[in-house]
Parts: sequence; structure tokens; C-alpha cells
Amino acid sequence: MIVTGAVWKFALDDIDTDQIRRAVYSHLPKEEQGQHCLESLDPTFASRAQPGDVIVAGKNFGCGSSRPAHVAILALGIGAVLAESFGRLFFRNSISGGLLVVPCPGIVEFASAGDRIELDTVAGLVRNVASGQTLSFPPLPEFLREMAELGGEKPYLKKWLERQRVGPLAPGDASPAA
Amino acid sequence: MPGLHALQKILAAHASPCPSSIEPGEFLQIEPDVFAVQVATNIEEVDRLEADLGDLGVEELPLKSKIFPFIDHGAPAPTAGIAAGQKRWRDFYRRHGIAIADPGAGISHLILTERGIVLPGSVIALRDSHTPTMGAVGAFAASLAGGTLSLFAIGRYWLDVPSVAMVRIDGRLKKGVFGRDVALHVNGKLGQRGLLGRAVEFSGSYVNALSMDMRFTLCNMGTEAGAMASYVQPDNVTLAWVKDRAARAFQVFDTDPGYGYVDVHHFEISALEPQVAAPHAPDNVKPLGEVEGRHIDQAYLGSCASGRLEDIAAAAAVLRGRKVHPDVRFIVTPGSREVIKAATRMGYMDVLNEANAIVTSANCGACPGLHGGILAPGEVAIACNTRNFPGRMGPGGEIYLASPASVAASAIEGKIASPVKYLSSERKAP
Repeated sequence: MIVTGAVWKFALDDIDTDQIRRAVYSHLPKEEQGQHCLESLDPTFASRAQPGDVIVAGKNFGCGSSRPAHVAILALGIGAVLAESFGRLFFRNSISGGLLVVPCPGIVEFASAGDRIELDTVAGLVRNVASGQTLSFPPLPEFLREMAELGGEKPYLKKWLERQRVGPLAPGDASPAA
Repeated sequence: MPGLHALQKILAAHASPCPSSIEPGEFLQIEPDVFAVQVATNIEEVDRLEADLGDLGVEELPLKSKIFPFIDHGAPAPTAGIAAGQKRWRDFYRRHGIAIADPGAGISHLILTERGIVLPGSVIALRDSHTPTMGAVGAFAASLAGGTLSLFAIGRYWLDVPSVAMVRIDGRLKKGVFGRDVALHVNGKLGQRGLLGRAVEFSGSYVNALSMDMRFTLCNMGTEAGAMASYVQPDNVTLAWVKDRAARAFQVFDTDPGYGYVDVHHFEISALEPQVAAPHAPDNVKPLGEVEGRHIDQAYLGSCASGRLEDIAAAAAVLRGRKVHPDVRFIVTPGSREVIKAATRMGYMDVLNEANAIVTSANCGACPGLHGGILAPGEVAIACNTRNFPGRMGPGGEIYLASPASVAASAIEGKIASPVKYLSSERKAP
């Protein structure tokens, strides 16, 4: 999958899920959650972000609570989040929800706010569209990449159930990575 | 084959198909023993879940008998919006014929272990970041993140096999220093990313001598170092605790002698002083002495980290015969109804009430900042919450994390204070 978009940079480390979207907004419809996305770090972000834009962040992005804060980012139509590393719960929630999240060591130094970057998830490559400079990263495990690119857990399960119905399974076929 | 850790063996025993070998990072398809679910607050989320299940052709939930709904965040409902969301989720579970724990039962991690639902060798799936707490009984307790729909639809989910680090803690604590101080110290030394992507086993002479309450505290705080799961190898203390609670048979798994831990962190805690995590991160840890005298507006005792009987006992020991400072709100939210009953029997509730503490029903309380003690901008709290990120208990508030005894001592003085002078010398610290 290729994703191209303009960079919003949140260079801090350890941005927790309550800063991505506070717990008190958990019960709101997702569009309203989107309007509060990352508001404590940049109150103008939600109103200025365009669908397809890309978030770049530091280490351990989305640490803290397991509340599904990715919903607020998805609601804004963000194309991908590239971070030095992710909190495990936010990372897995995002993949299941169909938000492309890519651990990409070196991205904070590589990307500046407003840059247009192109992300190739299969090759494991980020390219600065203007300068042509590239940064490589280890591609996601096949299972996670497939789920994220299909649009999340629901379409993934649909495909998995179809595979189960197709016929007798070879050993290991029940494994999603197979 | 190199040796396996008990956590890896637990996963393998719950995997389908049964794996012939296990490598860290590999994804296994797991059927958990328990799928615990929050009576949540978002209506869109349950609408979507029902639509997705319909679309996937699922009518009966395959895990029905293993689904355990509870309600601990914002319970009983503090706002009309949250009440509406909780009603919608309750209706969903009831329609599927699943019983729901009442909103006074307590925090999920406490009730699931107290009722013997999560046992040694269990796999528990639960979407709460402090699920590792339950690893104290020797279960595989990783927070569920992604996989909720899979568990509802096909009764299984995909988990990556963790590598395991060891945190070995030796020594005996001084008077006025408690398990929570040890947990804070470990978090400060390891940092928020110290265990990222790993599971952690707690061991050593200090851990072996520890009660279950404080083992839960240690395991709980594994989350704040980034751990996927925490674990204590079941021993006589575990088995004695589990014996009369177990709701079903269970199996204890052992780590192979040759298992290679990915890291070993060693701590000697005999000289440790009371600790705090200063705003705004759980690893911003320093000796309490460095912030002694800092003005506070609120003191809070509760949460899945420190809302158990021993925590309340420590606060009561400090408060006995004393009063909360008139300018301070000292809020006590016991972690479960079992804790309330035991603390009442022991007379601790009387001590708290006589001291003018505000004692609430059992739930997550003010820790997630939904109700029961929200801070105003600029206010300062000392709390034994799980975490102290910016705005956690209310936007613009500041949170110092500390042990229940330090919280109680600070409540008396209206400023951050050490509990040492309030504790009699013959008392032994747990």
C-alpha cells in the first residue's frame, strides 16, 4: 500500500491516549471525538488537518489507557501515523480499527511539519516527495499489514471466515499469517 | 529447542491449532478462558458491533459462557450521556443472555481474581490497560487491544508471543515504606518504555515474602513500564489465596530451567525511602522527601493499583485518632465490594469516617477522571492512582503518585508528607 500526505508533527515522546482523545469524550459520536483529537497539544490541529494527512510522532505514541483513542484520528481521515514507536494497546487497537500505524525509527528527524511524504508499507520505505530523500523501516508483520490494509478486523474476519469455508484446511491454514 | 517461559507455555496450551514451536513475535490464535468486557459508554461502538456480527453471520456468541461484563469506569453513571451509553451496552449483553456484574461490585481486575474466575494458568482477554495486574496469580493477562470483534464473533483472537524480562527484587522494607513505593521505584528506574513489547516476571526474596495484595500492585505497574503482561510464578502464597476462591480447576505452568530472559533487572530495596511520581509521568519518580511540604488540594486512595485491603489498612494505621486537614478532600474509593466488607469488619471504615474521609462505593473512581473527585485547573492531588499523565484527573490538575500511607499522611497535613512519623515502631511493613 502507498500512502501520500502532508505531515503533522508531534515530536514528543510518550503521548498517551488521553492526550490523543480525553476519556470524557469516549461516549461521543466519532466525528465529535475527532474535533477533540490531540487538542491539549495543538488546539488548532482538528480544524486544520485535511483527510489524507499523516501524523508523525515520537517514541511510545499512544501509551497509557486502552480506550480506543484511534477513533478520533480516524474521524479526521488521517492516512497514516508514523512514530518512532507505539504503545502496544494503541497500536493493536488502531490496526483493528483500520488506522494504518507504522513504527518507523528515525522519522522524527527525517520529517518536518508540512512535508509531503510517501509511505510504501510493503517495501518499508518513506520518501520525502520534494527532496527524494528516503528512510527505510522494517515492514509490519504480514498479519498486521493485511488487517490494516483490508480496513481492520471486520473485513479481515470476513476474509478469514471465507477461507475457513473454502475447504479442508492444511495444518497452519487457520493461522492468519498463512 | 531453548527453554520456554511459563507465560509462553500458557499461550501454547490455549492456541489453536496447537503450535509445534513458539517464537517471540509469532502470532497465535488463542481461545481465552475468560473474556471480560466493560459495560462501555459509546453507543456507536455497540451499534457497530451488532452490525458487524450480523454481517459476519454470528447469532450465538461462541464464548457466551466465558463472557464476563462488568462496570467500573464511571459507575454508577455520573452523566446522562454516559448513562445512555451504559444502558445500550447492558441491553446488548442481556439480549445475549449474559449476566452483568453490578456497578458496585468493583474494579474488573479485583473482582475477576477475588471470585476465582482468573486463575493460575488462565488466559484472560480484557480491554483495560491494567489487565497485567491479574498476572499476580500466575495467569496470562495481557490487555486486549484489537481482537474484540474476533472474540465476540469467532471466540478466538490473535496474540503475539512475548519475550520475557525479569525484575528481581530483594531485601526488606523499612518502616513507612510499602509495596507501592517499590513499584514506583521500579517504574522510575525502568522508565515508561523499559519493558515495551515484553512481558515481565517479578521474582526475588522480596516478592516471595509478599502478600497477594502487594503482588497485584507490582504487576499492575508493569503497564506503566510498557509491559504486555506481568507475572509472578505461583507459590504457596498464591495457592493459599486461590484455594477457596477457584471457580474451576486450574493448572500451574513452570518456566524451563534454561529459559533465557531477554533482560534481568535487579533491585535491592532495603534502604528505599517513600517515593513519589511527580507530575506528569509515572516514571518521574523521586524520593518523597524532595517534594515534602508541597501544598495539596486533594488526596485520593483507590484504583486497581492500590485499592485493596492492605492499602486501606495502611491509610487507617496513619489516620487512627487523627483528622483530615480541613482544606483537603481525602477521597477513598475501595477497589471492590469484598474490600469494603473486609475493611468494615476490620474497623478501618470507622477510622476513615471518624477522620472525615469521603468514602465512596467500589469502582475506578477518580483515577480515570470521569467522576468522584475531578480536579479543577491548577489543583494538586496526591493519589495512589495508576498514572498521572497531564489532565488524567481533570484538565490542568497535577498528580503526585504515592503509597496509600503517604497519601493519608499528606491528607492530615494538607501538604505532601511522609507517613513514617505516624506509624508505631513495632508495626511491620508489608
